[in-house]
Amino acid sequence: MGVLVLKIILAFWMALVTIGAFVYAPPALGLGDLARIIFFHVPLAWVSVLAYLVSMIYSIRYLKKGMMVDDRKAALNAEIGLIFTVLATITGSIFARFTWGMFWNWDPRESSIFILLLIYCAYFVLRSAVEDDTRRARMASVFSIIAFISVPFLVFIIPRVYATLHPDPIISVESGFQMDPKMFQVFMASLVGFTGLYAWIANIVSRLSAVAPGTEGEENV
Amino acid sequence: MSDLYIVLIVALIAWGGIFFYLLWIDLRIRKLEKKR
Repeated sequence: MGVLVLKIILAFWMALVTIGAFVYAPPALGLGDLARIIFFHVPLAWVSVLAYLVSMIYSIRYLKKGMMVDDRKAALNAEIGLIFTVLATITGSIFARFTWGMFWNWDPRESSIFILLLIYCAYFVLRSAVEDDTRRARMASVFSIIAFISVPFLVFIIPRVYATLHPDPIISVESGFQMDPKMFQVFMASLVGFTGLYAWIANIVSRLSAVAPGTEGEENV
Repeated sequence: MSDLYIVLIVALIAWGGIFFYLLWIDLRIRKLEKKR
């Protein structure tokens, strides 16, 4: 019952975030209403990083304990991360179309997210290429750990090292805090809401795979 | 009505759809878990 209440709170929370993004938050200087995409684009990117992190944690757990359920959860979280990365890329390219005139410019930020997509696509190619369960789980776990090491470089470091068309981060070392307080409130609320949505989706896919045929006797944590 | 409100309404409908779809899947899984 308590969990259902949380889901209903999430429904209202996200509805309020959506209303806040379009009504409460003011248009940004220079970018106008286009900047409102930040309330969806950045949380999508944040959730993808979070999902890849959780995938890496389950991979480390698999390598330590050897339980197949951990490998399954690592793969499920990587899937969620990949979906959210695709959504972040789509929202980013919509923003690019209306600010820079093209959906795709091979900007450092776009190139790095493209490489990230390729890395996690390779993770699933690897999983589908190895038939033996234990061998697949071990190789995929090692791959997931190495793949996550590249995430901070591709998402946070490389786009800041090279000159980019992408707007400055909200908090940067050079220019400090840059967001309107109302925008910041909606932005933080959106981050919280999307994190809750990710937790719910991760819970659903984990339970769904546990009730799927062939997983009897596996622990569902 | 301005374009912004049209986008807002579409976004709210989309979120409502996603929410009820997730809730429906959640309840289906709960039924399956009880069966097992």
